[in-house]
Amino acid sequence: MKKIDLVYTRLRTEERMILEALRKRDCAVELHQDSDLVLSLDAERWPGGSVVLMRSMSLTRSRYLAAILEVKGARVVNSARAITTCGDKILTNLALAARGVPMPWSFAGFEEEACVAEIERRGYPVVTKPAVGSWGRMVARIDGRSAAEGLMQMRFETGSASEHVALVQQYIDKPGYDLRVYVMGRAVGGIRRRSEHWVTNTARGAVPEAYEVPASHAKLAERAAAAVGADIAAVDLLETRDGEVLVNEINHCVEFARSIEFTRVPLPELIADYAIGVLP
Amino acid sequence: MQLQKPMDAAGVNGCPTCAFEILGDHFMEGEVLTCEGCSAELEVVGLKPLRLAEAPEVEEDWGE
Repeated sequence: MKKIDLVYTRLRTEERMILEALRKRDCAVELHQDSDLVLSLDAERWPGGSVVLMRSMSLTRSRYLAAILEVKGARVVNSARAITTCGDKILTNLALAARGVPMPWSFAGFEEEACVAEIERRGYPVVTKPAVGSWGRMVARIDGRSAAEGLMQMRFETGSASEHVALVQQYIDKPGYDLRVYVMGRAVGGIRRRSEHWVTNTARGAVPEAYEVPASHAKLAERAAAAVGADIAAVDLLETRDGEVLVNEINHCVEFARSIEFTRVPLPELIADYAIGVLP
Repeated sequence: MQLQKPMDAAGVNGCPTCAFEILGDHFMEGEVLTCEGCSAELEVVGLKPLRLAEAPEVEEDWGE
């Protein structure tokens, strides 16, 4: 009988729907709450199955668990490499840059005054966000020197040493929405996220709408997912008012509870089919 | 004797916030549900008996 191991933090709507979709396909599912997993750091085969669907909400847990399980012989979806790359926006941008995928310009800096000077050189407005973060948290637009000085000071004088890196990105004047394309080997659908605010995360109140993904957007999203090595990804695209399309971020643990009723993209079924498809 | 994890904040067969009775054997550990009594977001932290705790605040490294 087919079997998938599913690692989770919380059984949210997403995980319950994926679980149901797997079981409807006569696939046995072994559930593992990430907090319960204690794994030895060696190459001994793990007692679970050969394919692990990683749905942990925690970046720390998911990347370590994926790395450990891969050494123990499991095929993890998404891989440790994909999780590590998508979970850090600087590494994401580097992976995209290495493959020539179009994206807003960005830079990383490690000292307050040097970062402010570089922002001044490039001009306002710009966006700064934590290298590691999600759901639009602590994303800030910088419109002038005072805000740049304040935000860079906060970036470098609060938090731990491991957080003392600034990611600054080109501000894109969006036409009131951004786009998200779901990729599972190939683009399978997408949503448009509309908001009057420049932050367009559905976790921050943006309204999801159906969106027919044109071939050019599908190809771009597929290139982006391949650049970070993701099996399953939600690729966020920004469209400029001139019609240029750029890759903004790539998400490795796709959420859809807030959007599925609007988009009608059957993501739980598609994820289940993909995971079963990688079984040996 | 095995030392138990402190579970003062967990309710048995009920909401730890408002004591609304919640029963059933169809729950799974880690499942998140909303209390019909007070709308608190609860997490299933144990089965047999069913133990519910207020769902933890979002951790800094949680996300997509």
